[in-house]
Amino acid sequence: MVEEKKKILLAPLDPVHDVGLKMIRRALDEAGYETNLLPPDLPPEEIVKNMIAYKPDYTLIGRTLGYDVETVLSRLVDLADASGLRPKMKMVVGGMPIKPELAAELGFDAGFGPGTTPEEVVAYIEGRLEAEQHTKVLRQKPKIAEGFSYRFVNEEIGRLCSEIADEALAWASERTSPGIERSQIRREMFSLQRRGDSAGVEKLRREYAALCDSFIKPFYDLGQTVGKTRLLSESELAALNEYAAEAASRLVPRRVRHSKERPLVFTQYGTGCPFMDVAHIKVVEAWGADGVIHFDPSWGARHEGLLEGHITHEEDGSPITPENLALIKHSLMPWTLWQVRAHRGLNTPETVVLAGEMKADLTKVNMVYGSLGAGTDPERLVVDGTEALRLAAEYGLPYDVVTNEELCGVPAYKAFAGMLIVATMGIKLGGRPILKPLFCYSPEVLINGQMSDNYVDFNAAKLMALRSIIDAPVWPGEPVGFMTHTSDRIQASATTMLHACLASSLDAVAVTISSSDEAFSGGPISAASRVDTLRAVTEGMRFFGKAKIQPTEKAEEFARGITEGIQKVLQQVKARGSFVSALYEGLLGNKEDGVYPGRAGRQTVRTRST
Amino acid sequence: MKEPINLVMDAIDVETFLACTSEEEARNTMLEIMKRMGLNEAEIVFVETIGPGARVRARCYVHKPGDEYRWLRGGRKHG
Repeated sequence: MVEEKKKILLAPLDPVHDVGLKMIRRALDEAGYETNLLPPDLPPEEIVKNMIAYKPDYTLIGRTLGYDVETVLSRLVDLADASGLRPKMKMVVGGMPIKPELAAELGFDAGFGPGTTPEEVVAYIEGRLEAEQHTKVLRQKPKIAEGFSYRFVNEEIGRLCSEIADEALAWASERTSPGIERSQIRREMFSLQRRGDSAGVEKLRREYAALCDSFIKPFYDLGQTVGKTRLLSESELAALNEYAAEAASRLVPRRVRHSKERPLVFTQYGTGCPFMDVAHIKVVEAWGADGVIHFDPSWGARHEGLLEGHITHEEDGSPITPENLALIKHSLMPWTLWQVRAHRGLNTPETVVLAGEMKADLTKVNMVYGSLGAGTDPERLVVDGTEALRLAAEYGLPYDVVTNEELCGVPAYKAFAGMLIVATMGIKLGGRPILKPLFCYSPEVLINGQMSDNYVDFNAAKLMALRSIIDAPVWPGEPVGFMTHTSDRIQASATTMLHACLASSLDAVAVTISSSDEAFSGGPISAASRVDTLRAVTEGMRFFGKAKIQPTEKAEEFARGITEGIQKVLQQVKARGSFVSALYEGLLGNKEDGVYPGRAGRQTVRTRST
Repeated sequence: MKEPINLVMDAIDVETFLACTSEEEARNTMLEIMKRMGLNEAEIVFVETIGPGARVRARCYVHKPGDEYRWLRGGRKHG
């Protein structure tokens, strides 16, 4: 609401090009301002005469043509200065040849370059933009998992999920593991740190080290580095902080979505090095990503214990340590959503503790994929995963439940049955799970031909099936278009964009996109490849806006098949009477599908002492 | 003094179309071009050879994860 009705004069300093100013005028009118749009092709002298007559608070000058721009604009400023208007009137210029630096040099109060939206100009008028960053939009951090009832629409599937989840929760409540014990120690360490009890922290660190395996323990006992890692130096840290602060001060985020508030667009980072991660995060923030996902090394899931300190890693995946996470958190723009994944290994509960303590926005938990597709013992991961669900609820962290086992060959209906069981366990523990189906060219569709004509129907069917079962947020991932990318950056960007637009068309709450390096295995992902796909998705969102992609009639047929398959699997799991046994025995994915129960952490689960 | 290549965040990609007759020729030619540009240790990211020649992209990493990133200090040669 406008408290004092400011007067805005808009003047196109071009022969005909005044479309931009017309758009801005409409936005200003809608925001409640009094506006006066002059005709095009007036000389500077005529524009200043209008300023004197109208007495505006702001004069917005539009200039599209590049020739003679400095001479014409300088003359206009000189005339306005000479008229005595400037103390009470701000002058702003925008258009194709305008840069903020040029505007400042010529004596304007602000300058807006190409790509500026009318909303940004309104924000400037309303004082919501920092004066020195004329196009910076103050974004709000979006909420991803709100507005859903988590009520089962399909009552039979809801009943089965509820009964299976009750059994699994009761079973897990009687058990513990080294992973749970470490998470409790880590949490207490944070508590003592806050109280300044360094001796107490050190004592707990020794207890923690005793619960680590032989790969991690030498780090605590002997100060040895682990694998291809090294500690970052103080001078490197100081240089990074300076770089990140400077980059943030210049960061003018683009907008990926055009006319819709969702899907939120996430990218994964995990170059191996928290410094490079920060640099890539600044890049994707600038090109409009709404959120970033921490991708840890694969060995982090297989070993008991997490490291500490600012640690860099020469290969994919950035080590999860309190210090690395704090460094990354510190670098994030206030609106960026941050997910720390905890889904698949022996440090699942502790990672949720770190995510919670470091004020992450989201985490990720999935005991089915982790134990069938990622190498962790099912019994161990159900115990640890249940604790992780409980902790996530306690910290108020929504989490996604991903179905990556599809990439191993598990049919979507089986993967979804597992996802729904875990989501139901989470709901019963007070959490906010987000369903994460894959938009992918999976082994299942390669063999059975559901995508022989198009990539739309089967992916759409997944969302249609899930929506017919439960009212919960759906976030396709991870990243979308998996197995459709090649190392041609144009093709990879196009397929990423199309899958992201399909997610948008299906009203998903979020979507995870890859870089155009997704299929290139010869080296780390480059910053430029992240820009490629964000640019492509921005263009796709602009093209489609609120328009829909229309699946064929096959999608409904596929959706019915997925739903029926889910129900059948849940009936089998229910009949088995044990969620953990169902995992070992392949009811949610077996060797013929391409998955098998993991071994990491086998025989480490203990019954809780009463 | 700033060393321009120090400002490359991670990798330099060079993309072009080569008038050549086979993928092998395209790969070898592209790697030779990279070498002559001073971009040693380059690799081929993408190559597609059809008819008149090959669309090809080569990459040379300037900074890899775990390196000391010279762009952190504004690309200066020292310090």
